[in-house]
Amino acid sequence: MAADLLRTLLRRPAGLISATLLCLLYGMALFAPFLSPTIPSAQNLQRTYHPPTALVWQKGHLCVQLYQLIDPSTASYQALPGQATPLSWFSRGTPYKIFGLIPGDRHLLTVSTPDPVYLLGSDATGRDVFTRLLYGAGISLSIGLIGVALTSFLGLTIGGLAGYLGGWTDTLAMRLTEFLMAVPGLYLLLALRAALSSRFPSDATFLLIVVILSALGWAGTARVVRGLVLSLRERPFILASNILGQRPWTILFRHLLPNTFSYLIVAATLSVPGYILGEAALSFLGLGIQEPASSWGLMLGQAQDIKIFMLNFWWLLTPGVAIILTVIAFNLLGDALRDAVDPRFRLPGK
Amino acid sequence: MRGCVLLPLCFIGLVPIACTPKNRETRQDHPLPAGIDTARTEPGRRGGVFIDSAPGEPSTFNPLVSEDATSSGFIGLFLDSLVRNNAVTQEVEPGLATHWDIAPDNKTFTFHLRPGVLWSDGHPFSADDVVFTFQAIYDSRYPNRAAFDLSVDGKKFTIEKIDDLTVRLTTPEIYAPFLETVGGVGLLPKHELESAFRDGSLLKAWNVSVAQKEPRRLLATGAFRLRSYQPAERIVFEANPHYWRADTQGVRLPYVDYLVTKLVKDANASTLAFATGQTDAEGLSPDNVAWIDRYASRYGFSVFNRGPSPNTGFIWFNQNPGHDSSGKPFVPPHKLAWFTDRRFRQAISYGIDRDGLVRGVLFGRGQPLWGPETPANKKWYNPNVTQYPYNPARSRALLAEAGFTIGSDQKLRDRAGNVVEFTLNTNQENQLRANMATAFKENMRDLGITVNLSFLDFGTLVGKIQDSYDYEAGMLGLTGGGDPAGGISVFSSKGRLHQWYPNQKTPATSWEARIDQLMSDQLHTLDYPTRKKYFDEVQKIMSDETPYIYLVTANAYVGLKDRWKNIRIPPLGSLVWNLDELWTPLLAP
Amino acid sequence: MTSFILRRLAALLPMLLAVTLLVFALMSLAPGDFLTPVKAQRDINPALIAELQKSFGLDRPWYQQYALWLGNVLHLDFGYSWTYKVPVAQLIAQRAPATILLSITSLLLAWILAIPLAVLAAARPGGWIDRLTSAAAYLALAIPEFFLALLAVWMAARTGWFPIGGLTSLDYDFLSPSSQFLDIAYHLILPTLVLGLGGVAGTLRVLRANVLDVLQAEYITAARAKGLTERVVLFRHVLRNALNPLLSTIGYAFAGLLSGSLLVENVMNYPGLGRLVYEAFIREDQFVVLGSVVVGCSLLIVGNLISDLALAWSDPRVRYGR
Repeated sequence: MAADLLRTLLRRPAGLISATLLCLLYGMALFAPFLSPTIPSAQNLQRTYHPPTALVWQKGHLCVQLYQLIDPSTASYQALPGQATPLSWFSRGTPYKIFGLIPGDRHLLTVSTPDPVYLLGSDATGRDVFTRLLYGAGISLSIGLIGVALTSFLGLTIGGLAGYLGGWTDTLAMRLTEFLMAVPGLYLLLALRAALSSRFPSDATFLLIVVILSALGWAGTARVVRGLVLSLRERPFILASNILGQRPWTILFRHLLPNTFSYLIVAATLSVPGYILGEAALSFLGLGIQEPASSWGLMLGQAQDIKIFMLNFWWLLTPGVAIILTVIAFNLLGDALRDAVDPRFRLPGK
Repeated sequence: MRGCVLLPLCFIGLVPIACTPKNRETRQDHPLPAGIDTARTEPGRRGGVFIDSAPGEPSTFNPLVSEDATSSGFIGLFLDSLVRNNAVTQEVEPGLATHWDIAPDNKTFTFHLRPGVLWSDGHPFSADDVVFTFQAIYDSRYPNRAAFDLSVDGKKFTIEKIDDLTVRLTTPEIYAPFLETVGGVGLLPKHELESAFRDGSLLKAWNVSVAQKEPRRLLATGAFRLRSYQPAERIVFEANPHYWRADTQGVRLPYVDYLVTKLVKDANASTLAFATGQTDAEGLSPDNVAWIDRYASRYGFSVFNRGPSPNTGFIWFNQNPGHDSSGKPFVPPHKLAWFTDRRFRQAISYGIDRDGLVRGVLFGRGQPLWGPETPANKKWYNPNVTQYPYNPARSRALLAEAGFTIGSDQKLRDRAGNVVEFTLNTNQENQLRANMATAFKENMRDLGITVNLSFLDFGTLVGKIQDSYDYEAGMLGLTGGGDPAGGISVFSSKGRLHQWYPNQKTPATSWEARIDQLMSDQLHTLDYPTRKKYFDEVQKIMSDETPYIYLVTANAYVGLKDRWKNIRIPPLGSLVWNLDELWTPLLAP
Repeated sequence: MTSFILRRLAALLPMLLAVTLLVFALMSLAPGDFLTPVKAQRDINPALIAELQKSFGLDRPWYQQYALWLGNVLHLDFGYSWTYKVPVAQLIAQRAPATILLSITSLLLAWILAIPLAVLAAARPGGWIDRLTSAAAYLALAIPEFFLALLAVWMAARTGWFPIGGLTSLDYDFLSPSSQFLDIAYHLILPTLVLGLGGVAGTLRVLRANVLDVLQAEYITAARAKGLTERVVLFRHVLRNALNPLLSTIGYAFAGLLSGSLLVENVMNYPGLGRLVYEAFIREDQFVVLGSVVVGCSLLIVGNLISDLALAWSDPRVRYGR
């Protein structure tokens, strides 16, 4: 079934594009240490707010243009004509560990001299924006996945039970989900953050964010599953299993719920953007991921300085573009999946 | 579709936003007092509104309660003192006292008060008010900062009323900054506040609640009086109809009808408001000056470079060995051992790339700072203090000497094997400070020290530093400049602002005791070279022992609209220190 | 009709109680009690602190505290803000109208733009209007609100065409009433655009789907057969019926608006409830946070009620049904 779904999905242009884009994004996030020229915390106070370094073709190699500071008071850098340092591929640089386990020290791009290669410029303390973007991708994207996994599990269980058992369980669960969906999410997020932050050590903020977002997000999934279970409950094959004397739990877990999986995947895919946006909003407000970790929301939060607008340091807004691309990709994928599964499938609250 | 038509209509109506102000009453004119002070400036014209912005809320309008610069700034607008400080000449000038006699022993000062001055409610000002003010300050029921400043070695001054227009103040010992300090004491109206004084509620008088509901009760002798206060919105002051200064033509000052201060917390918003001509004056941070200059001709303002600012920026460690009410020590003992070790602090100082901070964060418009005074304080600055230029090798040597070692994981550990790690608190509203904290963190990482940054709201931060002492390290700044006596609560080990270990009963270290001695000595002589010698030594000790690890000081830039006349730029202090003399030929805001 | 209103209120009030209970419980989990920072202040009268402690029962178990707090709230006593030194109710009364204003204008914008576009798009599915608006809606839903707000501030700062924030100009006090009105309208433009854009996109998608469904109904074919012009068919019959589900989502829309306004107000310096909540949260001014959340949720309840009423007015089946 999964293989069928995949094939139907990839046959559509929207599905193909979004799947490719997402694979690319996740790949970049996974291999961030390899793909980035340096580490996210490497600062360079002599080159703050540096624009992206141009890449020029010189002496047969791809080289990084060298710059000099012409006006410290506006952080203006000018390219030194003819001066560039060659770019090395796959050479050794700062050591790293992928997933914290696999050590390595080869980077895709580096320069041999101490000059920096800023593919997307540098920030307020001279850190490479491109590197921070990649590492931030890891955080934002994994929060999306983990959060969705948690809520799918929660939603599946609660929604399934509510739909199948009916009666009090159902009413209670539905009131609860209605309630959670009707309150302003960010307000509750703040309250949760206030309550829980003292119980989590500061470096477990990542976990804290995931827990908070999941605690609010399961409601939508639960409603979807419940609706599905309700309609499936009356189908002949379920009635048949009942007559055959199978126990209610077996029916639920072996027959009902597996039939909801394809819908669940659609719902899950379409809810990942909510997590990514939620984490970005929290980090933007300074309540989510903190330094030294980098996250897209945090980078945007640090770009709120007026001089960034006035002196046109446009590259500091690239995390926003990254967020937009990711969200569009997930939405496209979700829509394509939904069309593949059942075009009439509607999600609540959308 | 109807909807589409409404939107363009809104746009059309937007053009004439700047219109003539309504809702302004004409100013009352009362006869000038007998002792009118004549301002020796070019006479101007009445009218106009001065608009500026403030980043914080005043926490109170009661001078006995105010402990922050914002509140004191507002209070200074409506309460005057016996003397005034002329910021340009740096001399003391007559205020509510026209002249004073200093006895040969330099301890007795007889002030002759200005005749005919009335409070803003019409009640006459007299010596009773002066006596009452000092009574309130020294009353033990009302602990306040002035009581500390107006005492020598803990002994109060004595005050007596000679007659309705004469008071005599006597200091127990020679107190060098007497006139300047007395100049900072806002005089309270006895007839208004005496009942609160008697029944014990004086500290609650003139709080923000009263200011909102009954602003007229905040009686004024200054150029302005409070007209309205809306929290988080604006504070409006109006010209005091009974102000005691006039110009050479006999026109009562201030020229300006209203003073509107917008409360804008966000620094970006207030900077942009000034750059687009919405406010009249604004302090500018060095990284913004370049682009603001581009708007200068369009909106009619000028940016003034006032050289190094008198403000200091520093990092310090909590060296307070006490514990809270539940018995938990403020600082974990093993960390306290690091923080109290001078070599640790000095090593950290050597490990900070100050030139990088000036170049990268301040865009080159600043300089490294090594001691408690900046070059802006020309009278008292000591350039020969110990400096710590960026030298990580020297840091490592010092740390090794103090018993720290670097492990194979590149982390620094003390003798007992504890990993060196601490949390640095600073306030989040200040973007430049946040960038410096981030840069500091990286500098420390090179030494193997892990720094965790914690950005707090300013009020919360101050609460931790001054009340609960629940922090490890902090990064802040102090406004400096002026007479050393102004810094007593910072330098003295008993002081409230002696941030690394305030309110000590006896000095914790020999060098703090030495500083106490020097500060006391410099107070007791009127001889400037001697005072300078003592204070130079204080600065040297501060830079040697580095309880404050000084970072950098930015250059001071101020923007001011060109339409204001009678501006006299002082070497230190606010550009609009003589607000009562400012006037503008253009009346529309 | 009145019985309908009463029935809806009866359903919504427990929700309000539940929200307040949840938020109260969460805030109680945070370390310290509500008055910890207050006690550190020097000029707050100890008698006031004692009075607050008694009337909010801070030495009692949390469910009793909740009951006391609820009782106080019913008397419109939300407690005391130690950062602004005024009663919380006064602060909220100052700030809430601004947020309500912004929410209403955003909602209006969303509808004014979305309704005609949706009808036109659905009338010719697959046509260029349909493709363009769908793509634009997609994009608009993908942009985080705070990023859009950031871009709006950037644009305002560079071009100077709009104010970069706030609700009123600095010389507001001195303007005539008509100028004051225009001043506020001028300041509302950008925040409304930012908040409303997401609303436009969402409404567009839902409405388009609804319209497509209705277009296939039999009575539409009948109307066309009767000889009515396409314009009358679309706007009098189709729209009327397609709007119904939309009316029921006003409540959800309000929830989204309140959430979004928290971000937008902070970036654009707009003095509303969202800004108040965030600042109070940062400063641990718990009474203010609690009060703002309650008021926010109450606004939501009111929004839900209004949407139910609108639905009932528009669709008689609801009035008399379940």
